[in-house]
Amino acid sequence: MMKTFKQLALASTMLAVAGTAAFAAEIKVGSVAGVTGPIAELVVPIVAGRQLAADQINAAGGLLNGDTLTMVLADSQCDPKAGVDAGTKVVNVEQVVAIVGASCSGATNGMVQSVTIPAGVVAISDSATAPSITDLDDNDLVFRVAASDAYQGSALAQLAWNNGYRTLAMTYANDDYNAGLAGVFEVSFKALGGTITANQMHEPNKASYRSELSTLSGNGAEGLAIFAYYGGSGIAIMRNSLEAGLFEKFLAADGMFDQSVIDQIGADVLRENIMITQAASDYDDPSYLAFANAFEATGHSPQAPYAAHGYDATFLIALAIEKAGSTDRAAISAALREVANPPGVVIRPGEWAKAKAALAAGQDVNYEGAVGQNDFDDNGDVTGLFSVNVVGTDGKWTGDLIR
Amino acid sequence: MDQLYGYFLYGLSLLTFGGIYAMLTLGLNIQLGFTGLFNAGIAGFFVVGAYVSAILSTAESERHLGGFDWPIPASLVAAMLVSAVIGWAVARISIRLRADYLAIATLGIAEILRLTFKNETDLTNGARGVSYIPKPYENMPEPWNQILMAAVVLAIVAVLYFLLERARKSPWGRVMSAIRENEGSARAAGKDVDRLRVQAFVVGAAMMGLGGGMMAHYLKFIDPNAADPTTATFLVFVMLIVGGSGNNKGAILGAILMWTIWSATEIFTSMLPGDLAIRSAYVRVFLIGLMLQIMLQKFPDGLLPEKRLQSSDSR
Amino acid sequence: MIDFINFYLIPGIVLGSIYALGAIGITLTFGILRFANFAHGEMMTLGAYLTLTMMWLTGWHPLVLLPVAMVLLALVAVGVDQVFYRPFRNSPAVVVVIASFGLMLMIRSVTQFSWGAQLQAFVPGIQRPTIFFDVLRLQPKHIIIITSAIVLMGIVHYLLTHTRIGKAMRAMSDSPELARLTGIDTELVIKATWILGAATAAAAGVFLAFDSHVSTMMGFQILLPTFAAAIVGGIGRPYGAMAGGLLIGITEELSSYPWIGDVPLLSPGYKAGVSFAIMVAVLIWRPSGLFRGRVF
Repeated sequence: MMKTFKQLALASTMLAVAGTAAFAAEIKVGSVAGVTGPIAELVVPIVAGRQLAADQINAAGGLLNGDTLTMVLADSQCDPKAGVDAGTKVVNVEQVVAIVGASCSGATNGMVQSVTIPAGVVAISDSATAPSITDLDDNDLVFRVAASDAYQGSALAQLAWNNGYRTLAMTYANDDYNAGLAGVFEVSFKALGGTITANQMHEPNKASYRSELSTLSGNGAEGLAIFAYYGGSGIAIMRNSLEAGLFEKFLAADGMFDQSVIDQIGADVLRENIMITQAASDYDDPSYLAFANAFEATGHSPQAPYAAHGYDATFLIALAIEKAGSTDRAAISAALREVANPPGVVIRPGEWAKAKAALAAGQDVNYEGAVGQNDFDDNGDVTGLFSVNVVGTDGKWTGDLIR
Repeated sequence: MDQLYGYFLYGLSLLTFGGIYAMLTLGLNIQLGFTGLFNAGIAGFFVVGAYVSAILSTAESERHLGGFDWPIPASLVAAMLVSAVIGWAVARISIRLRADYLAIATLGIAEILRLTFKNETDLTNGARGVSYIPKPYENMPEPWNQILMAAVVLAIVAVLYFLLERARKSPWGRVMSAIRENEGSARAAGKDVDRLRVQAFVVGAAMMGLGGGMMAHYLKFIDPNAADPTTATFLVFVMLIVGGSGNNKGAILGAILMWTIWSATEIFTSMLPGDLAIRSAYVRVFLIGLMLQIMLQKFPDGLLPEKRLQSSDSR
Repeated sequence: MIDFINFYLIPGIVLGSIYALGAIGITLTFGILRFANFAHGEMMTLGAYLTLTMMWLTGWHPLVLLPVAMVLLALVAVGVDQVFYRPFRNSPAVVVVIASFGLMLMIRSVTQFSWGAQLQAFVPGIQRPTIFFDVLRLQPKHIIIITSAIVLMGIVHYLLTHTRIGKAMRAMSDSPELARLTGIDTELVIKATWILGAATAAAAGVFLAFDSHVSTMMGFQILLPTFAAAIVGGIGRPYGAMAGGLLIGITEELSSYPWIGDVPLLSPGYKAGVSFAIMVAVLIWRPSGLFRGRVF
């Protein structure tokens, strides 16, 4: 049977070579995301971020010998079944050399454990933040540019403490992302000496949260920490608590970071009353600005959650392909850490031509992405930077890096 | 890597997914096809089977109850038993309900079961799910691991098919279709109709539990989203209706065919550029819905309609 | 005590009114066409989006536009019925339910394709409550929702009891065979059912959006509690649906009230389960529902 495969392999390789000899080849990278499903509204800018990276690379000479980088979209629906199916499709049918994705931590867990790790395909997640991904037994095939919840949860707790909050109520949406983040936050805030007066899980996508909020406000608290997606329940909770006069001050993490929060609740109400941490970038950093200007031109907000992460993950894979000098999956996985971590010529978003030249000259490169250093540790995780965002005078979010 | 080999592996994954869904459609076929029980709570038995098998077979973990490191076959048997017991309890309270009422009651019970697994975080790790579920033959070299995984699933489906065909042609199966066709005369003939319905419901629930358990092992990861009613209940109905309700071959064909369509249509829509690819994900769902309508209108009995038993079939 | 009224009872009544309006359509299709219409949630969503689009075009208040949305949605429902449900008039219930499931997928993808997955709001910003007698907090929009719901339910009641077509609808829901024998034009009654169902669905969708926001999954998210409301009230009984809606809405909110001690009686994670539990209990102990509806 094995022999038959090899004959088939040989035959079709010859076909492929014959078919493409005259053209520059197409190199496919899987772009797995929860296009439909519970976070559909968050996924649109993330996919656009990935696409921007591919477009810039193709415009600046493409991969290897002028080959085109094609992002193959597959829908993980935030469901592990669909995640496994999407992974199987891009790995086997589309023959992708690497994968960016797959949005939700649950779908990512299924996809990498069941498909990509056994197949030896490297996957960089741009938005799966569950701590459980850190300790996967992954043969160095699972990376992520989104920092684990462990970092953001404690960053938010520290921020709350530094801003004078001593007693907080908290509520979290019962999903893989928010439940993990809330757990870390609770532990960190208590460790600092703060008091959690009430901690209440809620089911996302309900029409009203007034009764939950009334219970939460019962013991008196200076503010409410919300861990939720803005669309699933976050906006509804803020609206309900403001309208009912239960909470005026809010803390939140990046699932709540979206312009529509301000647009729907109102800038005047929120100004001075909300702080959101976001896995983000130094907004004054040239790397971020390079990304932000290009992304804004495509009609998306550069601050959209995880859009910059999508860009960086795609750019890193392209660098790894270039560095490996081939589309061999194992070589790409091996090259990934080298192009992400120092030492090397610093490459910023959009600087594909520079990176290509440096690599061609045999130099090392070190990608400094839109979201930060992107230096992978032994688990394939990054520390990540966080910004604190408040409502600015123009009715938009304005952020400062937490230093 | 080579394209044809890739298609071959994708084909195996279609067969594996389709085969696991076939366990669900065969289970539904006993309930709906044979006996006329409109169980819309497939996702509930699916999630029970998946979590029972996952928790029993994983290595010990501090994230959830257990794990108990059981061998996979033992944990699958346990998944069937627990699903059967829950199926029995559900049947006891709701079996007298007719058609749509039973459907809505079971749909509600399934949501309650799913919420329980989602909220009892200490037992199940809640929304964060259970990882490191062992997969049969995962340590074999590729492609043998995938061939054997598909083979195990298809072998189970074949065994179930064989047993169900035997059951259908047995006196038990004949009484079942008699109940479905004309309950009154079955009662008049002295049959304990409710008891027989409970039996059919329990057997079907056990098979759905088996399907859930198999899915957990195949995915190596399970969370409550995997038991979303759209893909764990409605899709199963679509598969059975398209294949042919009341026909075991149809149930299997429908599962594999519909899964293939559900999955493979994306290969074409993702060829579209940029934003269009995202929008086309919605179009794909539209086309699946439309195809279902056309199927229902043109082939209301499914691709393989039920064959009514003739008296000569009894031996 | 006043917290109980402000934060549990009033939200429960608002939610209950929305469920009740949705449940009218479900109970009518269930009673007259004899199937559980899973696409009803998407009809509510579509009603909200149609209203939103007209708001963008005209800038008028959603309540002013609601009658237009009702008419548009009724046209959609009648058209959908002709193409997708009419062929199944004599099919078993399971086939029609599956057809409605397929339709649910189709309508949802049309909505997502046309309006995108982004959240939208009718009226941005928040509305502070008006405070009565120093303690009772009522938001203007809640007063609007509750009063409009009562008015609409009154109209439904009038149509069903005082018009020829309404009486025919009730007759057909009680006994289709008898209705046919007495020469009722069944196709006309079915059309009226869809129109009334779509109009109330549009109202439910618009009120839900008015209270929170517009999203492509909003209707589906309240579909199952709406089913529960229809069942609890009794199939084919519009008054039952109204009572059932209020009952389900209020119990959902009250289930997490700290009845004993300081902690919620039931974790809000199980809130959605409460409506199903009531529904299953009603199905088992009183399958005809509170208002003695039909049992098939």
